Amino acid sequence: MPETRILFKHIDVPGIDRIDVYEQHGGYQSLRKAVLDMTPESVAQEVMTSNLRGRGGAGFPTGRKWSFLPKDGRTRYLVCNADESEPGTCKDQELIYKNPHLLIEGVAASAYAIGAEDAFIYLRGEFKVGYAILERAIAEARAKGYVGDDVLGSGRRIEITLYLGAGAYICGEETALLNSLEGKRGQPRLKPPFPATAGLYGMPTVVNNVETLAAVVPILEMGGAEYSKLGSEKSAGTKLFSVSGTVRNPGNFEVELNKVTLRELVYDLAGGPLEGREIKGIIPGGSSVPILTPDKFDVALDYESLAAAGTMLGSGGVIVLDDHSCIVKSTLRLMEFYRHESCGFCTPCREGTMWLDQVLERIEAGLGRPGDLEMLADLCVNIEGRTFCPLGDAAIGVLKSGLELYHEEYQAHIDQGCCPLGEVVR
Amino acid sequence: MNAERLAKARELLEAFPQKSSALIPILHLVEEEFGWIPEEEVAVVADLMGYTPAYVESVLSFYTLFHRQPTGKYLIQVCRGLSCQVRGADELSKFLYEELGVQRSGTTEDGMFTVEAVECIALCKDAPAVQINLEFYPDMTPEKMQAFLDKARQEVPSDA
Ligand SMILES: Cc1cc2nc3c(=O)[nH]c(=O)nc-3n(C[C@H](O)[C@H](O)[C@H](O)COP(=O)(O)O)c2cc1C
Ligand code: SF4
Ligand code: FES
Repeated sequence: MPETRILFKHIDVPGIDRIDVYEQHGGYQSLRKAVLDMTPESVAQEVMTSNLRGRGGAGFPTGRKWSFLPKDGRTRYLVCNADESEPGTCKDQELIYKNPHLLIEGVAASAYAIGAEDAFIYLRGEFKVGYAILERAIAEARAKGYVGDDVLGSGRRIEITLYLGAGAYICGEETALLNSLEGKRGQPRLKPPFPATAGLYGMPTVVNNVETLAAVVPILEMGGAEYSKLGSEKSAGTKLFSVSGTVRNPGNFEVELNKVTLRELVYDLAGGPLEGREIKGIIPGGSSVPILTPDKFDVALDYESLAAAGTMLGSGGVIVLDDHSCIVKSTLRLMEFYRHESCGFCTPCREGTMWLDQVLERIEAGLGRPGDLEMLADLCVNIEGRTFCPLGDAAIGVLKSGLELYHEEYQAHIDQGCCPLGEVVR
Repeated sequence: MNAERLAKARELLEAFPQKSSALIPILHLVEEEFGWIPEEEVAVVADLMGYTPAYVESVLSFYTLFHRQPTGKYLIQVCRGLSCQVRGADELSKFLYEELGVQRSGTTEDGMFTVEAVECIALCKDAPAVQINLEFYPDMTPEKMQAFLDKARQEVPSDA
C-alpha cells in the first residue's frame, strides 16, 4: 500500500530547507498565485471547496472555521499551532525541521486569505532548533518579498512572528495557547467566546495546526475541487500519520484518507510487529483516544470510520503496543503524564487524574485490591464530560477503553499481585 | 543578565503587538544565560516588564522548561513517553542514573550533567529519544549515551 506524498512530496530533497531549492521545486508558486491573481475571498473559497479538515486533533472544517471571523473591521490574527505535544505525534516536527518553507508559504497564504497582517507560529519550547530553522527561512522569504510590508509588490503586509513556548502540554489547546502567547500562564479560557470572535489580545483569531496550514499550499496549487477528490467526501485529502511503538519501521507516513486501513499502515508501511511479537493494541490518534484491539485493525483511516470503530483520528499519532507491552504499565504511564499536565484549574481533572494515577500505580506494583477496577471505572465517569477543557476527557481515553478491552490483564495484576507478563519491559 | 541579553530583552518589549507577550521570551533569555532562573533575575525581569516579582513567578512556575535550580552544563532530557517506554526508555534512564550517580531529575556534583525524565518530545518515531541542551538525539542506546558522556568529559579541561 503506497503512500500518497503531497505534503511530504519534497521532504527528503537535500537542501529543501533553503529557499532556492524550495523554489526550484515549485515553492512559493501558491503564494504568488494567491497574492497576485486572487482575492482573499477566493483563496478562502478554495479552502472551503477543498473540504480540508483541521489536522490538529478535532478535525473541524478549516474553510468553515475561517468563515466565522466577524466582518467588523477589527484587527485579525492568524496563529499556527506548532505545539505538537500529544504523545505519539511527531509529524509537525519533521515538517518544520525539514521543509520549513512549506509551512511559511502556507501561513502567508492563509494570513492573506483571512485578512490578517500578523501571523504567529507558536512552537513548543522543545523545538528550539526548529525555531532557528524557521527564523532563517523567514529571513530568506523576507529577502525575496514573500513576507514583509509589501508582499510581492501587492501592497499587502504579512508578518510572521515566531514564539517559543516553555514546556506545558496544555498549551496545545488553542485558548491556553493564546494565553501563553500573551505571556501568561497557559490556562484554558472559557468558550464561548471562541477565538474567531475574541482570540489573541481579544481580537478575532484563527488557530490552525501546522499540517492544516501547510495543506493550503497544495490546495492552491491543484485547486480546492481537485484536492477534495482525494480521500472521501467527509475526509478529504491526505493525512500524516506518525507510527511509533513496537513496530519494525516506525516513521511518519502520508496517506490518502479513507483509502488505507490501519492494518495496512501499521503492518505494511511501518513494517508490522517486531521479530517474534504480536501486536495487541493500537492507539490510533495520539495518546488521548480509545485503543483498538486486533479485530478492529481493518478500519479505514478517516474521521468517520475511526469514530464508528469507537475511537478518533485525533492527531494521527498511531501508538502500537505488542504482547510484551503491559497494558497496566502503559495506562499508568499515560496517567502520570495527564496528572502532570493537568493545569489544576478544575477539580475533576486535577483530583481525578491524581487518583487514577495512584490506583494504577498500586495495581502495577502488585498491591491492587479487589474493587480497584470498579474504582477506576467510577473515577472515569466522574471526569468524562465534566471538565473545563477537553484535557479531562483526553486523560481517560485509553484507560476507559483499556479497562473494557483488556479487563483480564488488569484483573490478573490484582489476583496474582504481579504482572502476568513478568519483568518483560520491551 | 549580561548587557547583550539585556539589550535583546529591551528589544523584545517592542516586538509584539502587546508588551505582555515579551515575558516568556525574556525568561528564555535568562534560562539560556544561567541554565536556570535565579531569584535576582526574577526581579530584573519584573522590573523590565513593569510587573511584581510575584506575578513573574506565577507565570514562570507554570512552565517546566524554566528551571528553579541550577542545571548542569549538559541538560540531558530522557523521554519517558509511552512510545519511548516500550522501546527501552527505562533502561536508558537506569543506565544514566547509575553511570552518573543521580536520581531522576538530578545534577552531578561537578555540575556537568543534569538528567531529567521528561514527557513526549515529539520524536516518537525515533524512540527512545533524548534531548541534550534542547538538541534531539534520536534512537538512543546506552552505548551511544556512553559515547556522548565520554566525549563531553574529554572536552572539559581536567581541572574543571
Ligand atoms: C489538551 C489539548 C492539547 C492539544 N494539543 C494540540 C497540539 O499540540 N497541536 C495542535 O495543533 N492542536 C492541539 N490541540 C487542538 C487545538 O485546541 C485546536 O483544536 C487546533 O490547534 C486547531 O487547529 P486545526 O483546526 O487546524 O486542527 C489540543 C487540544 C487539547 C484539548
Ligand atoms: S480539564 Fe484539566 S487541563 Fe483542562 S482546565 Fe480543567 S484542570 Fe485544567
Ligand atoms: S514518546 Fe518519546 S518522543 Fe514521543
